[in-house]
Amino acid sequence: MSDHDARGLGTPPDAAEATALAKPERRDDGPGKVTGATRYAGDRKMPGALWAAFLGSQVPHGRIRSVDASLARTLPGVRAVLTGADVEGVLFGRRLQDRPVLAWDRVRFVGDRLAAVAADTLEAAEAAVAAIEVDIEELEPLFDLELAVRDGAPVLHPEAGGYVYMGGTRPPVAHPNVQGRTLKQRGEEDIEAVFARAPRVFEHEFTTPRHHAGYIEPHATLVWIDDGDIVHVVTTNKTPFSLRSQMATSLGLPPAQIEIEAGVIGGDFGGKGYSVDEFACYFLARATGRPVRAVTRYADELSATNVRHAARLRLRTAVDADGRLLAHQADILFDGGAYASAKPLPHLMLAAGNATMSPYRIPNVRIEARTIYTNTVPAGHMRSPGEVQALFAGESHLDAIARELGEDPLEFRLRNVVRDGEVGTLGDHFREARGAEVLETVRSAMDWGRPLPAGRGRGLAFGVRHVGGGALTLGLRLAPDGRIEVFTALPDQGGGQTMVIKRVLALVASIDESRISVVRRTTAGAPFDPGVGGSRVTHIASRAAEMLGEQLRDWIDERLPRALPDAPAGAELRDDAIVDPATGHILLGFDELIGRLVPAGEPLELTATFDAGTHGPDESGDNDFAACAVEVSVDADTGTITIHDAVLVVDVGTVINPVAHAGQLVGGFAFGVGAALMEELIVEDGVMAGLSLGETRLPTIRDVPALRLVLLPTTVGPGAFGAKMAGELSNAPVAPAIANAVADAVGIRPTQLPMTPERILAALRAWAGAEANPPT
Amino acid sequence: MSADVSVQIRFDVNGTGQDLRVDPERRLVDLLREDLDMTGTKESCAVGVCGACSVLVDGELLSACLIPAVMVDGRSITTIEGIAGPNGELSAMQEAFIVEGGLQCGACTPGQVVAATALLREQPDPSDAEIRDWMAGNLCRCTGYAGIIRAIRSAAAPG
Ligand code: FES
Ligand code: FES
Repeated sequence: MSDHDARGLGTPPDAAEATALAKPERRDDGPGKVTGATRYAGDRKMPGALWAAFLGSQVPHGRIRSVDASLARTLPGVRAVLTGADVEGVLFGRRLQDRPVLAWDRVRFVGDRLAAVAADTLEAAEAAVAAIEVDIEELEPLFDLELAVRDGAPVLHPEAGGYVYMGGTRPPVAHPNVQGRTLKQRGEEDIEAVFARAPRVFEHEFTTPRHHAGYIEPHATLVWIDDGDIVHVVTTNKTPFSLRSQMATSLGLPPAQIEIEAGVIGGDFGGKGYSVDEFACYFLARATGRPVRAVTRYADELSATNVRHAARLRLRTAVDADGRLLAHQADILFDGGAYASAKPLPHLMLAAGNATMSPYRIPNVRIEARTIYTNTVPAGHMRSPGEVQALFAGESHLDAIARELGEDPLEFRLRNVVRDGEVGTLGDHFREARGAEVLETVRSAMDWGRPLPAGRGRGLAFGVRHVGGGALTLGLRLAPDGRIEVFTALPDQGGGQTMVIKRVLALVASIDESRISVVRRTTAGAPFDPGVGGSRVTHIASRAAEMLGEQLRDWIDERLPRALPDAPAGAELRDDAIVDPATGHILLGFDELIGRLVPAGEPLELTATFDAGTHGPDESGDNDFAACAVEVSVDADTGTITIHDAVLVVDVGTVINPVAHAGQLVGGFAFGVGAALMEELIVEDGVMAGLSLGETRLPTIRDVPALRLVLLPTTVGPGAFGAKMAGELSNAPVAPAIANAVADAVGIRPTQLPMTPERILAALRAWAGAEANPPT
Repeated sequence: MSADVSVQIRFDVNGTGQDLRVDPERRLVDLLREDLDMTGTKESCAVGVCGACSVLVDGELLSACLIPAVMVDGRSITTIEGIAGPNGELSAMQEAFIVEGGLQCGACTPGQVVAATALLREQPDPSDAEIRDWMAGNLCRCTGYAGIIRAIRSAAAPG
């Protein structure tokens, strides 16, 4: 056994392991995906399956007078129509169950569901939806985050006291329209006193929009109830065990009566942690006795599933005479939408929603962040939740401070960046504080001091993100023919987790990777896992695979004398065979070894659970520092921003899958470009404009500039061989890097995302106008 | 009950003849995915902007979510299921998508591979700009496109 402990670091690779890990992987899910053979949830069919369609509210806030489905029920092909009256009181959610499966007394956003239809064809189901008559008395809607938390604001959830909160007690909130709140305070009790005596104080406000994760595969589900009353759910959900407990709670069923099958997911980025249709489809399957399918139309994806929280962030920072950060205060409001049900965390907040200035050393801190109910689409998790908003504000704010002080933004960051042994703004301790190294690498990669041509600007942004944890169990089955199956319910959203498991297990056991397959089972056949998300999978899945490899070696070592009685001392499993250490000769191949040890019909079964535990408040955590730097120009006539050069410098652990790892970082960069320049779901009076992927633009191959990727490896990471994470590392710094480069190029400071040509042009004109007519 | 307005059509998918009755409003993507259970062709946006449903109709790259099924009467269609060789051997483009990181979740991949295959038929040695122009109708949310560009380049110049 190696000497690492569950909460410690992975064992760094030896030279042979490092060479093996550096080899580009050929993904095992590739052939199915490039031939179209892979089946996703929306591709699954069953004989007799009905199609579901849903009626959404047209008003943002109202009291339901009546929902009349009598005509709809008579239409051809219609098998069931359910309204709120049929499922009164049934609510769902990932943590707080505050969203009705079908609204029965009140609707709270445009898209809130009022009725569900099951019919022989999708066309028939949609025709029935169109035939449902609704009478709603409109109530005063709530859209403004500041007004929502004033006294006398309409209360969206007067019945909140009765809501189920899964796994404990809901933290109290000061105003009924607050979903959740976090307050981070460090240093002097009275931070106002620090601001009052500080030589310089800077204050800025930023806003970021709601937008959609934009996965290509929409949500889909297929639900049926078998003769034994087991509820089967095929789903795009990425956290199948969590969905099982949500459904058990909402539907009043024992978890063992629900079997969730989540296989290959066509893109997640946070949004696939939330399921909506599964609950109504259960009731439709009950009502009809038939399987029921639903595939979310993209218009409903955008307007009625879950989106990134829009935010309003007010930041204030005090600086001393030497340019050191003295105090930082932030007041952050996130638009949570009509329901908190898409948020899984206990405080109903976004984990990194207060990460405005995390990689710095600031002694006095007060950061308050709140999620607020409004009459808009529910907001949930989307790649680096909270951090995208917080880092745009924080890194823009810091850059603006540096410029106002006449300092170079890179030097200013270097002076204040947290060093080894120091504590970050949020109180974090860092196992390796590599921020300065990342910034110095930006300097050399960008040739930072080099003068730029006229009209060009250079900007950088910088953040730090912790490696996710949790507990995960993998099972292994070794057949007499030497084939190895690893089984898990962990869905595959494209991050390459099956290759992580295979590579680590093969290397640790010293067997051939090709004999391993990763088999995905339903929640009924696989050990518990926490699902995909929070940048945890590489860390905990690699460690569980490593444990399996060690167990397998131990099992074989113990039995080697039986399989090979004449084996010389020290004979061991190496490169898929038992080898004589003195001569290097192969004594017995793996197949034959296993044939001798594993009797026919009695496969060996092993399980391994890795539990990363939780770090105490003063213990060092594992983190990745990352910076993005860009060089841009701005077209003065159109406001269009062009990125001429982009560099991403990342502190990474041991890389297990080089191709997938780079793919996560580059894909994250493109995600960040979209958020920076084009993505926004505009909601006016509660109605979302542009309900298609044509109107809400996602970056195409033409929109994403080439990226230079600079990896700063370390083997100090918690995953196997010292792996860390990559999936949520690269998107958040992109928008502030571009904003800072725009400020450098043209002197205006973008404070709102996305930085569309229209917005930039308006800012340029306003600035030019102010120059021409200075205020008197 | 409305009268049956369905139409008999004959066409060829990946070399196999089909003879079916379809409703005039049925889209090609539904014909493929639902009626023929060829689910390699994906549907996402349904409005012709994402390219997940890309197919070749008489060699021309089209979005199956926009085409009425009746339009393919008498034509021959290649879907993602028809790109590999007769014994399932992957095309150079398919292999390149795997090894170059041209795919992650795979939801866009069938459409990408069909579009990229069509590109090399038109232009066997495309420049980066030509790749970007041709592939702009195929969204990918995972890869950031760098792996897709590498895959097309390497399939264009094998070895
Ligand atoms: S589904 Fe056809 S182009 Fe998007
Ligand atoms: S691989 Fe996921 S959308 Fe392209």
